[in-house]
Amino acid sequence: MNWNDYRKAVDALPLSGDFQERTEELVRRTAKIVKLEKECISVKKKGFVKAVSIAAAVALLTISAYAASRLLSPAQVADIHGNAALAQAFESEDAVKLNQSVQTEKLCVTLAGLVSGENLSEWTDQADQSRTYAVMILESLDGTPLDIDDFSITEYTFTPLVAGFTPWSVNNWTLDAGVSLLERDGALYYLLDTRNIEMFADHTVYMAFYQGRLPDPDIFTMTEDGTISFAESFEGPQALFTLPLDESKADPAAVEKFMNDSGFDREWFTS
Amino acid sequence: MVTTGTEETVCRLVREYSDMLLRLACTRLSSVSDAEDAVQEVFLRLLSAPVSFRDAGHEKAWLIRTTLHRASDIRRQAEKRNLPLEEAAQTAAPEPGTDLLQAVQALPEKYGAVIHLHYYEGYSIREIGTLLGLPAATVGTRLARGRERLRELLKEEIK
Repeated sequence: MNWNDYRKAVDALPLSGDFQERTEELVRRTAKIVKLEKECISVKKKGFVKAVSIAAAVALLTISAYAASRLLSPAQVADIHGNAALAQAFESEDAVKLNQSVQTEKLCVTLAGLVSGENLSEWTDQADQSRTYAVMILESLDGTPLDIDDFSITEYTFTPLVAGFTPWSVNNWTLDAGVSLLERDGALYYLLDTRNIEMFADHTVYMAFYQGRLPDPDIFTMTEDGTISFAESFEGPQALFTLPLDESKADPAAVEKFMNDSGFDREWFTS
Repeated sequence: MVTTGTEETVCRLVREYSDMLLRLACTRLSSVSDAEDAVQEVFLRLLSAPVSFRDAGHEKAWLIRTTLHRASDIRRQAEKRNLPLEEAAQTAAPEPGTDLLQAVQALPEKYGAVIHLHYYEGYSIREIGTLLGLPAATVGTRLARGRERLRELLKEEIK
């Protein structure tokens, strides 16, 4: 076998002949939506004070310590995924155990815990990269078992967000994150694998869950002081947790590098 | 400097790079449909979050790196959902063609990307270093180790 065979095999891939045309059409349609969204941002900023007050009140009423004894622990979730190294990390002293819950619509969303560091997983092929792993649990409030097909990772988003950085700039997408989902006894377990978010620890760092895809101005608002909350008009299951990260682990130089490497305009991160 | 927030600029990039990026994504994903998703998401990202490219080289490098990241992300998600590789290969579209392509798809990204860029796209080691933001020596090492992995996978000598 030689490399000509490889080139022939790549050339023989059954690529769609109209991919370019379809993609251009998709770009044109999306460009119109993006334009409309930008026009909406200034309108929404005017209403942010009310939105924040309501969001804060809802959070106070619903966030509570959660007795998670009947649920799988983050370590058990990692174990089921076949990741013994990560399971061990979730049991270590470095792990943050939260077990905080928010009731939203007919769901109970529990952020079970997270752990950050290098070489914590057996999966990553970027062993030199520091990562954060978090486990979030979804249950129905009336005890009805949840169907994994109704809560796919393409329909619902579980993502970190950082105060002072627009939700559309620092999120699962830009942090090279991946989410896996499993079901046990009617509860759903989301395991998030993202770049280490401790670098932002000198800011308020959130973990958000909501129905929808990319975090955009229809879903989130950010106040002048950088506080992030769900948009007042956003409907559907939603939860926003604040993470108790150790501020001493903040790494402004890494954040700077993250922004530089992204290639995005600096302004996009903050406004 | 070129900023990419406009429909016209992104459409130009689609015309210029979509074929190359789609083939590159296919070296990470056995499903052509998933590869198409990865590439389209990269172009759409340029609309919602404009990038200022210093020059054409920066433009191409950013597209290649972002496509690889996105494709690897999709792949990692599929692997974590324990989607059997055989099943993925069947739903996937690529005509099996040769064992070599499937072996390249099975390599870790750091090896598969340099192998593809070198042997399919024809980039030199130095050029790949510029595209991926790596020292040329690292690219050379990855190329050699990638070939070695392929030999192990194929259990035969690659001429």
